[in-house]
Amino acid sequence: MKRRGEWVSAFIFLLPLLFTLAVAFIYAFVRTVYFSFTDYNLFHITKFVGLDNYTQLFADYRFVLALTHSLVYAIVVTASQTFLALLLAVVLNQKIRGLTFFRASYYVPSVASSVAITLIFIWLMNRKGTINWILTMLGRYWPLIITGLALVILVQWFQVFSERRHGLPARAFDPALLGISLLIGAVVTTILGRFGIVHLYPMVDVAIPWLTTRKMFLGIPLPLLSIMMLNIWTTTPTMMLLLLAGLQDVPQELYEAAEMDGATPGQKLFHVTVPAIRPLLFMVITMGLIGTLQVFDQVAITAGVAPLESTITLAYYVYWNMFGSGGLPKVGMASAAALVLAALTLVIVFIQRRLGFSEKGWYS
Amino acid sequence: MRKILLALVIVGLVVGVGLVGFGQDKVTIRLAGYSGDTPLMQDVLSRFVADKIPGVEVVWEPITEDFLAFVLRTLSAGTAPDVFYVDLGWAKTVAGTGLVEPLDDYMASSAILNKGDLIPALENAFTFDGKIYAISKDFNSLVMFYNKDMFDEMGVAYPSDDDTWVTFLGKIAMVNNQPNKWYGACINADAARFLPFAFAAGMPFLKDDGTGPFDLASAKQAADWYTSFNRLGISATSADIGAGWPGAAFISEQAATCIEGGWLIPPIRNENPTLNFGTTFLPSPWEGGPHSNYLFTVGYAMPTSPASGRPDLAFKVIEILTSPEVQNYILESGHAIPSRAALLDSAYFQQKDDFAQATKKVFEATALPGTVPFTFGEIGQGVYMGAVGEALTLIMQGEGTVEEAMNEANAKLSQ
Repeated sequence: MKRRGEWVSAFIFLLPLLFTLAVAFIYAFVRTVYFSFTDYNLFHITKFVGLDNYTQLFADYRFVLALTHSLVYAIVVTASQTFLALLLAVVLNQKIRGLTFFRASYYVPSVASSVAITLIFIWLMNRKGTINWILTMLGRYWPLIITGLALVILVQWFQVFSERRHGLPARAFDPALLGISLLIGAVVTTILGRFGIVHLYPMVDVAIPWLTTRKMFLGIPLPLLSIMMLNIWTTTPTMMLLLLAGLQDVPQELYEAAEMDGATPGQKLFHVTVPAIRPLLFMVITMGLIGTLQVFDQVAITAGVAPLESTITLAYYVYWNMFGSGGLPKVGMASAAALVLAALTLVIVFIQRRLGFSEKGWYS
Repeated sequence: MRKILLALVIVGLVVGVGLVGFGQDKVTIRLAGYSGDTPLMQDVLSRFVADKIPGVEVVWEPITEDFLAFVLRTLSAGTAPDVFYVDLGWAKTVAGTGLVEPLDDYMASSAILNKGDLIPALENAFTFDGKIYAISKDFNSLVMFYNKDMFDEMGVAYPSDDDTWVTFLGKIAMVNNQPNKWYGACINADAARFLPFAFAAGMPFLKDDGTGPFDLASAKQAADWYTSFNRLGISATSADIGAGWPGAAFISEQAATCIEGGWLIPPIRNENPTLNFGTTFLPSPWEGGPHSNYLFTVGYAMPTSPASGRPDLAFKVIEILTSPEVQNYILESGHAIPSRAALLDSAYFQQKDDFAQATKKVFEATALPGTVPFTFGEIGQGVYMGAVGEALTLIMQGEGTVEEAMNEANAKLSQ
């Protein structure tokens, strides 16, 4: 009797979740599967079309493009953001001054609305936007910048060398000496520039159309690459926060033991830190893959500016079939594409686990 | 027992008050339109509609998402507003759902809005299979706006109705004052601006066999000319100038000309009222050639089963919104040209100021031969406009030749 009571109360607690799961997932999924075999257009189902939607899908050049874009996007963005997040997390796990400030400011891009950020990005990436302006300035001033950097390194090296010769323990990046080096570098560079000893390049306006183009870079359309950079920038901090939480649980003794054995910082990172936070890395990579395979909002907002063929991804292809063409929604095609996307996500996560990025920890 | 009685009394009171309150409730008629129309529509609703129909409260719902997506989504879910905008570009798609109410019977029994009151072309535009599905609220077309001061300063003759593509290109080249001041024009890779020129050059909407027309010589000539301004550097896109749209570049005096419709007039009046400007027809491809144009019109439509359950009241709202008083008011604000035939000789058109003259020009442009209401049939508006828009972008940026880009656009259309 008591056991039944327990069962009932457990069921009652589970009910809200089961209900939402049943409505928002199972019901929707079953309907999507059903629609993918029909020519439903939101208003009439006229007939069953069997596998027609699926064969049409693979005959549609937009779908093939969307599929390739989604795969490239998922792999490049997940790999970059995981790597960057790990680096950032390791750096921010040190005892450095102003730690809270850095952690907070790195996290800002993740907190801001992705729609707002995308709009700002479109604006920065205009043909006469800030990014092209910075490139223009670099194009003009790079001789000075290189000269300045070389001078600073030279002066710093000279100072450290002479300090050490006098038996003083000077570090390579000693702040006081670096200050002097920067000052000397800046003054000398300014003089060289002023008297025309270092030549400036004539002002050439860089006007790369980042978004309104069909140019490719390494086989990836430039607009898609722009969205990738944006996405890496906005999601890296979230991933960093997760990894940071993991890093703080790594037992300090492991590092001490590694140091006793004479491990270098690089060896400590790859042989102590990474294995220790493996479960979290698995989560970060899985979330990254699922999130990037379903990328939609950035693409939808950029769609007003960039050519469809240069940005379309699977999730946007689904939307485009529903509302993008200006005709009646092609629910059948959209459902079929959505199911392909779901299957693809499952397969990729499965492959990822097979390759060893699984939740097994270092102690197993 | 007493407690139960008390509870019953309380329940009775609540239900009673609720029923009385319900009985006095006004019927809410939801009216959905473009969010950009909010100031105008709120003004019109408070001036002309509020309290005019007893027991009715009209609520304006500005829609920020893609409007066609909104209409299709709400129609299929049965939550469509009582009255909503329908753009001619996708009217046929929406009427084809079978969930939009034909308005013939309402018009037949109406005292103020009957068949024949509207300009015939606009009434026909929303008529499919013999039934009228929307009441055109106003219409618009494209004209060339030019900044008189800039033409004077550069000593160039104003654009005129007699300009051909060649003479117009020459004028823009001469009025262009770069690198420091203004561009000769602000032209975007926009299908809706380009298509009138292609039609003037003789391109049909589709070829007779139903395939795309973009690989025809006329389409390619128009694309070559339309993109030549930006390729020659005498014009820029609004994004290059840092303006939201070509009209904004014109208002801020960064471009000497732009191709826009009557909707540019209110922002000029609000943001740069001293701008010394004129308007002319779009240039024609050859001397004495056609000026073909694009007729923009938006109408009011109703769903077959409105949420309020009162289509009669919804139609009353449409009656007021398309009444002569409201249309004249909108005309004088410069927003659009009335769809009622009787208002076409409105006194406003006789006024001499720049704004009234510009409105008159836009109106005259709609009457030019070759200006037809434009309905996208089987091929969706998004596919048609998207294909040619992308081709124009490629040509403007020198990433493809006219030949390649237009052939590719045509191939996309046939997919």
